[in-house]
Amino acid sequence: MPYSPDYFKNLAKQIRFNLSDEEALDIANEFEVLLDQMRLLEKIDTDQVKEMVYPFEDETSFMREDEVDEVLSLDQVLLNAPNSRNGFFVTKKVVIS
Amino acid sequence: MTILDIIHTTTVDERVNQAITKAKANQSQLNAMVNFIDPSEQIKQLNNVSKDAKLYGLPIVLKDLVNMKGTLTTGSSKILENYVSPYNATITNKLIQAGAIIIGKSSCDTFGMGGTNMTAATGPVYNPYDLSRMSGGSSGGSAVLVASGVVSMAIGSDTGDSVRKPASFNNIVGVKPTYGRISRYGIIPYASSLDHVGYFTRNVFDAALILEVLAGRDDKDMTSLNSPVPEYSKNLSADLKGKRFGVMSNVLNAIKNPVVLKQFNTLLDQLKAKGAIIVDIKLNEDLMHAMLPTYYIIANAEATANHSNLDGLRFGMQQDGKDVEDIMTHSRTVGFGKLIRKRFVIGSYALFIENQEFLFRKAQKVRRLIVEDITKALSLCDALIAPASNQGALKINDTKTDQLSSEYLIAENYMALANFSGYPSMTLPFAYDEENLPVGINLTCIREAEQMMFNLALGIESCTKLKDQIKEVQS
Repeated sequence: MPYSPDYFKNLAKQIRFNLSDEEALDIANEFEVLLDQMRLLEKIDTDQVKEMVYPFEDETSFMREDEVDEVLSLDQVLLNAPNSRNGFFVTKKVVIS
Repeated sequence: MTILDIIHTTTVDERVNQAITKAKANQSQLNAMVNFIDPSEQIKQLNNVSKDAKLYGLPIVLKDLVNMKGTLTTGSSKILENYVSPYNATITNKLIQAGAIIIGKSSCDTFGMGGTNMTAATGPVYNPYDLSRMSGGSSGGSAVLVASGVVSMAIGSDTGDSVRKPASFNNIVGVKPTYGRISRYGIIPYASSLDHVGYFTRNVFDAALILEVLAGRDDKDMTSLNSPVPEYSKNLSADLKGKRFGVMSNVLNAIKNPVVLKQFNTLLDQLKAKGAIIVDIKLNEDLMHAMLPTYYIIANAEATANHSNLDGLRFGMQQDGKDVEDIMTHSRTVGFGKLIRKRFVIGSYALFIENQEFLFRKAQKVRRLIVEDITKALSLCDALIAPASNQGALKINDTKTDQLSSEYLIAENYMALANFSGYPSMTLPFAYDEENLPVGINLTCIREAEQMMFNLALGIESCTKLKDQIKEVQS
């Protein structure tokens, strides 16, 4: 097992979710195959090759006037909020004295 | 029967009611719908639409990633189980303007992340050809709704092969056009550099017609293309004389199923008899083996970043916690399914500073080499052709074979090459495996050559005679 289950638990914690012991163990076991797959990339010579970020590299963005198009009302924006008050999202205190 | 035939031979009420009744009757067997939309207001609004509109009063479904104002759009996830769209996706507007009646949202792998439809929060979608088998994914709900005769068109999305693989497993046509051909504005993303809007139909003519409705530049999606939209369906030609099909020998060598191979060779003979030229294409074998891991790295890394906004604070399902971080962690833990959590962990691993160079950036470089290889191959032929899969749909709980085998890495997963390149690609019905399950044929053409792709597909359809296939489900 190249990485311990705890390694993956920590990895998950950094992107804000928890893994159960069983789940972390499953991922640790499966990672062996995944790393073998990833090693298939090592065989390929990529010296002097530029990363490809998007399929096409032609310009599709442009400058335009800042015109009002479609606007959501405050009520519409807050429609999906779990908790809101006076036009604000409400959550637990962020700054604690 | 084409969409135009349906529109001309039934009333709006007849076709919409029939679709809803059938979708509801099939639901216990297929589990394809996530929610239904009351069509009455949309039908009223048809007064503002010309009766000549291409999809006048045609019932359709949207994959549960596509926003439609006032409807639930859950991404087939738990974390967005209560999310009501505040606006329309661009394609929703285009479909409504063309007269379509949206009857509901179809199940998919959560956020489109999967190839089985097993990760949907509402459970697996079942294949109408064998209810003990998976639909394929991620656009599985849309695929089986078209295959079982509920609707004649449904929207999907395709990041690796998420339209083209379920199309193969369900004996229908699945189209993924050129990257940027259809706006993605208002659609929950998976991996932005690979995501395409796609769709399902039951014949090639309808596939050409639908792209006329969906394609076109959208300033709200900065990756959308400026190119004009031709009338693909009016320009269709099944003439194959002199057309060059590039047979990818790497894929053929990886396919071990003699029944599928035999039918593929029969198809090639039929194409030749119609004047087509068959060209042997040998892609770089190391690149072909690296395709799936390259996809995993790029797709999961982009997904991890894209879905960092799902925190339970501003929208979606929220779990309690002692502070903001705790709320986020609890909401994301409960809101993401096990398989999705695993994908995010892989994505996060690839994005780690110490792994970025040899994994993420390496994958992006390998992607370029794969695309260069495909582009070179497409300079020798009009389309690359190969069976879309080694076999029909797997059983629901079937475990994968050797994940380092060519059969798995290439035969089952090569279609991502069209996502890397952004080139148009489609699957259409072509064969049945030894268990009488459908397997599709896949075509990939050069950038923006959708007309050529539809023409070649029409030529294939005239050989196979497999169009308008419907597999009724006993309710």
